Amino acid sequence: MALLSVEDLEVRFFTRRATIHAVNGISFDLDAGETLGVVGESGCGKSVSSLAMLGILPKTGRITRGEVRFGDRDLVKLKDADLREIRGRDIGMVFQDPMTSLNPVLKVGDQVTEVLRKHLDMDKDGARREAVAVLDRVGIPHASERVYDYPHQFSGGMRQRVMIAMAIACRPKILIADEPTTALDVTIQAQILDLLKGLVKEEGMGLILITHDLGVVAGICERTHVMYAGRFVETAPTNELFDRPRHPYTLGLLRSVPRLDASQKEKLIPIPGAPPDLSILREGCSFAPRCPYATDESRERTPMLEGIDGPMHRVACWNPVPDAEVATVASSSLEASGS
Amino acid sequence: MSVAEAQAAELSLERPSGLWRDAFDRFRRNPAALVGVGLLLVLIIAAVFAAQLAPHEPNQQVGPLSTNPAGPGGGFTLGLDEQGRDVLSRLLFGARLSLLVGVVSVAIGLSIGLVFGAVAGYIGGWVDTAIMRVMDLLLSVPSLLMAIGLVTLLGRGMVQIMFAVGVTTVPIFARLLRGSILGQREADYVLAARSVGVPGRRLLLGHIIPNSIAPVIVQATLTMATAIIEVAALSFLGLGPGDPSLPEWGKMMADNANRLESAAHLVLLPGFAIVISTMGLNLIGDGLREAIDPKLRS
Amino acid sequence: MLKYIVRRLILTVPILLGLSILVFLFVRALPGGPAIALLGERATQESVEQIEEELGLDRPLPVQYLSYLRNILSGDLGSSVSTRRPIVDELKQRFPATFELAAMAMLFAVAAGIPLGYVAAKRYQGVLDNVSLVASLIGISFPVFFLALLMKYVFAVKLGWLPTVGRIDVTRSLEHPTGFYLLDAIIAGDGEAFVDVLEHLIMPAIALGTIPLAIVARITRAAVLDVLGEDYVRTAKAKGLDPSVVDRRHVLRNAMLPVVTVIGLQTGLLLTGAVLTETVFSFPGLGSWILNAIRFRDYAVIQGGILFFAGMFIVVNLLVDISYAFLNPRIRYR
Repeated sequence: MALLSVEDLEVRFFTRRATIHAVNGISFDLDAGETLGVVGESGCGKSVSSLAMLGILPKTGRITRGEVRFGDRDLVKLKDADLREIRGRDIGMVFQDPMTSLNPVLKVGDQVTEVLRKHLDMDKDGARREAVAVLDRVGIPHASERVYDYPHQFSGGMRQRVMIAMAIACRPKILIADEPTTALDVTIQAQILDLLKGLVKEEGMGLILITHDLGVVAGICERTHVMYAGRFVETAPTNELFDRPRHPYTLGLLRSVPRLDASQKEKLIPIPGAPPDLSILREGCSFAPRCPYATDESRERTPMLEGIDGPMHRVACWNPVPDAEVATVASSSLEASGS
Repeated sequence: MSVAEAQAAELSLERPSGLWRDAFDRFRRNPAALVGVGLLLVLIIAAVFAAQLAPHEPNQQVGPLSTNPAGPGGGFTLGLDEQGRDVLSRLLFGARLSLLVGVVSVAIGLSIGLVFGAVAGYIGGWVDTAIMRVMDLLLSVPSLLMAIGLVTLLGRGMVQIMFAVGVTTVPIFARLLRGSILGQREADYVLAARSVGVPGRRLLLGHIIPNSIAPVIVQATLTMATAIIEVAALSFLGLGPGDPSLPEWGKMMADNANRLESAAHLVLLPGFAIVISTMGLNLIGDGLREAIDPKLRS
Repeated sequence: MLKYIVRRLILTVPILLGLSILVFLFVRALPGGPAIALLGERATQESVEQIEEELGLDRPLPVQYLSYLRNILSGDLGSSVSTRRPIVDELKQRFPATFELAAMAMLFAVAAGIPLGYVAAKRYQGVLDNVSLVASLIGISFPVFFLALLMKYVFAVKLGWLPTVGRIDVTRSLEHPTGFYLLDAIIAGDGEAFVDVLEHLIMPAIALGTIPLAIVARITRAAVLDVLGEDYVRTAKAKGLDPSVVDRRHVLRNAMLPVVTVIGLQTGLLLTGAVLTETVFSFPGLGSWILNAIRFRDYAVIQGGILFFAGMFIVVNLLVDISYAFLNPRIRYR
């Protein structure tokens, strides 16, 4: 049985002006020790889904449909008090911006111990020792002294390590990392990703890595879901997704990312247009207005995720990118890496 | 705003259509601000048309001298005062004084403050330090106390009083503009303008000050309310305009503060007149602040 | 921390010096000068010169200032021109009155303002939020003396619930070892006197405290709203902390930073508000004392009183800065 199983999750925001259809029915499973990538542009609903799973949506947001199965419980139906027992203990979360995600007026040590004391019933000294151990584990030098420091005395990368320490302090079964490296320098990004990779391996945690950066998924995720306008449009083992992207949006994403190994001749091809207005829910594929392969059918009927090239690779598209074209992308990248 | 909210907002963004237009639209849709405009209009109309609206001259004795003058209702809409003068007429002419005092003293404080603030913020260095230390010193004296001192020193003419109250507001405006200039000196658009060779003075007058003006307008509106209160307070303390016949609201209250039992209307009516003016200005100030910077909803 | 406090203390020295110069020059610049004020407009040239010599007013200004400064530093503020009493004695008697009034007012403002602002923010755009917005609008729009008069009218004249004048019933005898009447009543173990003093204090304190209350509520609301949207609050929720812990440790601790600053500023302004409130309620504090001095041109009292007033203002600001530093590690460690 999967560790976490999300079934047809739907999230809406009810603002005074409009209803925003932020997440429109996503499903996925996460196994222990597995690393899952969720990729998409900002505003596609990837962060919202993770907040929804933990029950910490902003006031205007609500889960309107679906289940989040964790063990034998459905997190959507849990009372907040029960959900709080799971947050931070069984499911840890790391947020994007370590500059703003730590409380500036609390000592770093206190921010780690409070989660230990809440969930593991530790006394003050025990929690303090454990906090030092966790901070040490995530690679913070002189952890036993630095617990007395405040966030502003840490660099960005170190703060993100603190965030990770807080998230893994109770040895959760699942870690959700929402753009954990976006706000960091490139060299630091690699360090943080390595740290996450190591933790998953040692602890056997399931990791959900949310990012807009295809480079990040490539290095670390086994499976990747591509999200667009609140839906998964393609899901596949990461290698396969990169080699044979079948959804036009995935292809577009891959083509619009500059590659170190690309030849001079190869041009970046941006995706034309902008993501749809999610306050209006239309029939049909939401990518259709920007899609070169769109047909009348695309505009009229919403495609479902269906297996293509075997059950592991699924795509929600009426006209998946033809093999021939996929092949040119794949071969060009092969060529480039060969030269 | 959280990430999710930001994203939600991002999703529903409308087409941008000009900062000031947007601000105006937000202001127009804010009921509290409109109430404020209404109250201010009452004050302005009363001030401008005092002569036409008032049934009597403000200093004309139209009833008997009395320690127990007639209250509202009866022959005189808002009653008579202890010298047999018509209260409504005095209140209307009082509006003139209050509006004048509010506008002039803020104008004085604003212009001096802006010059100091601009000089301090733009030149920087020891000039900045010197100016701001003096401003700190001025701020370290509570404003009413300073106004009392200045009036004692300068005398009790209307001009002196407005100057005294104006001076107490100088540090507020100086700090505001300086802060704004310092904040913007490093702003991208200023760096951009400088990099294409826009000269310093034009940069200040053409770019920095216009961009700092919004918070100044908001502050001026709110300060006008305090100025009106402050002048009334001076009068109430017996340090207001020397001319005893002037229908200044604070003075009207002071004259009758010990008649709360026999003629409460002489104290309460001018009090409410002051409140109408200050509430109007405060509502407008808050409305402007929200309209200009929707993030600052408070 | 200690370093910060010391540095902050040193910073107030020039301000205090500047202030003493300001007050010194102010009194010298009064029309007619102190001698005329002392002797009246019709004083002869001779007597004026005599008095000026007596007071040392014929010496050059810097010399006068230095001796004035020396006197202040040795705790001698001179004597009242009209009553001949030493200013310091009068201060000892008046200060406790104003302090009691201001402290009660601030207590009221903080105890009511912070919860009001907090609840308003938690129920953003709800009924309570709107109630608090209207209340705070009234608070900032009413001149303090009008509010005082209005309360006096309602609670004393119309309802007859509360006394209108002074600090204590004139017929009551109470020893005043400290000058703080509430404290004195406790020392004397006189419950009735305590209630009496409280009854005299309550209306002026509420009148005086309403404006700061409104402003504290506004700032608290804005600050809490601000902090509620911060990423670290989301982090705290993601940790599974109880809502009360999130609010206390994460929301309020951060939201209090601007509130503390405002409380300090308001405490300073309270001192001027006291001038007006004390006038309305014939409360024998510093405010009414200085006001009378100004009316009667008692330059020694003006000089000593204003200096003391402004000095208190500076001390309050100092205390605020220090408590701010306690709350905000980013300042402390700079």
